[in-house]
Amino acid sequence: MNDEKTKETGGFFEGIASFFRRDLVSYIIKRILAIFPSLLLISFVIFVVIQLPPGDYVSAYIAKLTGQGEQMPPEVIEQLRADFDLDKPFMLQYWSWIKGIIWTPSNTTWYRLYGSHHNWKYSFSEGKPVWTVIREYLPLTVGLTLAVMIFQYLVSIPLAVYSATHQYSLGDYLLSFIGFIGAAVPGFILAIICMILAYKWTGNPLVGLFSKEMLENGVHWGNIGEFLKRLIIPFIVLGLGGTCGTIRSIRAQMLDEISQPYTLTARAKGVSETKIIWKYCFRAAINPTVTGLGTSLSHLFSGSTVSAMVLNIMIMGPVLYDALLSQDMYLAGAIVMVQAFLVEVGILLADIGLAFLDPRIRFSGGSR
Amino acid sequence: MDDNMILHVKDLNISIPLHEGLLTPVRGVNFDMKKGETVGLVGESGCGKSLTCRAILAINEKKCKTSGNILYNSDEKGEIDLLTMDPRGKDIRAIRGKEISMIFQEPMVAFSPLYTIGNQITEATLLHITKDKKKAKEISLDVMKKVGIANAEKRYNQYPHEFSGGMLQRAMISMALVCNPKILIADEPTTALDVTIQAQILELMKEMQKDFNMGILFITHDLGVVAKMCDRVNVMYLGKIVESGTTEKIYEDPEHPYTRGLMGSVHKIGQKKTERLFSIEGTVPLAMNLPRACGFYERCDARIEGLCDRAEPELVEVAPEHSVACFACPHPACKAQRAAAEEMIRREDGR
Repeated sequence: MNDEKTKETGGFFEGIASFFRRDLVSYIIKRILAIFPSLLLISFVIFVVIQLPPGDYVSAYIAKLTGQGEQMPPEVIEQLRADFDLDKPFMLQYWSWIKGIIWTPSNTTWYRLYGSHHNWKYSFSEGKPVWTVIREYLPLTVGLTLAVMIFQYLVSIPLAVYSATHQYSLGDYLLSFIGFIGAAVPGFILAIICMILAYKWTGNPLVGLFSKEMLENGVHWGNIGEFLKRLIIPFIVLGLGGTCGTIRSIRAQMLDEISQPYTLTARAKGVSETKIIWKYCFRAAINPTVTGLGTSLSHLFSGSTVSAMVLNIMIMGPVLYDALLSQDMYLAGAIVMVQAFLVEVGILLADIGLAFLDPRIRFSGGSR
Repeated sequence: MDDNMILHVKDLNISIPLHEGLLTPVRGVNFDMKKGETVGLVGESGCGKSLTCRAILAINEKKCKTSGNILYNSDEKGEIDLLTMDPRGKDIRAIRGKEISMIFQEPMVAFSPLYTIGNQITEATLLHITKDKKKAKEISLDVMKKVGIANAEKRYNQYPHEFSGGMLQRAMISMALVCNPKILIADEPTTALDVTIQAQILELMKEMQKDFNMGILFITHDLGVVAKMCDRVNVMYLGKIVESGTTEKIYEDPEHPYTRGLMGSVHKIGQKKTERLFSIEGTVPLAMNLPRACGFYERCDARIEGLCDRAEPELVEVAPEHSVACFACPHPACKAQRAAAEEMIRREDGR
């Protein structure tokens, strides 16, 4: 029985070998090269937008000091602005920023201090090089985001297929009901509800990913259970909206595909229902979901800012929020750049996935 | 069932429960097919011919409730009733594509766009003939060549969007024939093709029928195609067969007003340009809450008031191999049926 199952769903991967033999490699190289100019363009837009609010970090900082009753002599203020390049014209600021990121020669103070050829400048508020700040948060952010995404698809795909193949059954109605609620409730409210429930049931609101003990000793075998327990709420909160959306979209697509004439052809050939669903319908139905891969990555990245703040998970979203508030422009710029890069990679992956799924969008650019 | 027979459809009823009521698109269809012969099923859109032929393979949607018998004379298992089989079960799947296969109306959408033509043809071979992938491919390539697909090796690895409509229909025919079926159901196989390709495909089907010695159930609304292809014709109207007989009989001596109407609406060579092409007035009624009356009553030019709207005629034999369901037909057998119906109505009125 088990054997038959794997054989029946195996049809999904037919053709994968020939697909990778085709012009995929040159396509991927072309696409990777295309990422850089688009990132350059994005960087300019980012810089413009970040500079749009009136004032800069120094003026915000001075205002804060003044609010506390301290006075700054004007020449100190001028000195500060000069230190941060804030007195230069806009284009020069951008040029010095982007030039430093692309290549910082070995004879600069920066290189002598940090040994890096990529100068992302300082974060004003953290008092550290921007890249150091990003490196602190990036692994957790990417790890959590990917884990939540995988969780999202693992949960939503089987449920969506069930929902579509059992249309208008009790299970389908139930899933639709939960799906609408999940898509409609904002993440942060769900986060608060979850924490209240956790506190009521376990006496521990499970705030943050790591307990104090973990922060000191890291995650090891002794506390992995506690760590996994702390993952439950973030997974639910960050993943629920996307899961529900994915269920709705795959279900709708599946229903569309199930009624296509080619399922009738396959059935008339003697193909089993399971194989029709997985080999034919499912592969066609996940097309829009794969298309959305790149953007859903970015959505998880920044769309969950409020939830992450409520849950006290220090991922990029809240850090970006703080940086924007304090006009910490180099930090904010770098975070958005990293995010843009990840989205580019996500879109590239989505395009490769799409090309694999659907031969009609394979990309020889008219050469065939 | 006679040894010479291969398919016998007996009192086939299909109904679909809808919110608005019970739809009865097929109401008591009877016909049979001898080994190696071509049987036509002719009628307007919506008369139930597609549902009928899909019921044979039990591939109608789940919401279609089917009753009656579809007896198939299998070489190996003897006579089996296809309707009693579980539509998702292994037994019927072993028949689909192997003993009875089907080709569809629009080849452009009947193939999945995601897999190569070769993959989709070989799928049937792998299911029914051999598990050996190499052998299966060889068999598929053989059939592809047989149906006239040039450069079959290259075509095998191409996708449906790289094929023309005519070529796709050839590929579909090869997919249907790859397991050497006893019956081929062709659901309007040429409707979506242009006329020159149509002729080629029909020619091909005839050739293949000789080579494979199979029966063809040919569903169409094109009487020209029927004349070219079929040995016997069943004319269907509103879920019932209203006239059935050999092709010559039906063409030379159509008895049912609907058949006559269909014949009249075919353009004939030599017809004057100024003459309007005949068309049957009105449309097919919706097969829901049908009154006890002849289905064609509203549109019939030979209707008998007070009879055709009160009773429904059954198929009666008017000549060997020719039956018709009409009260107005002058044949003695029909007259007897008419007399019985009139008697019944009189009795009803008297009460």
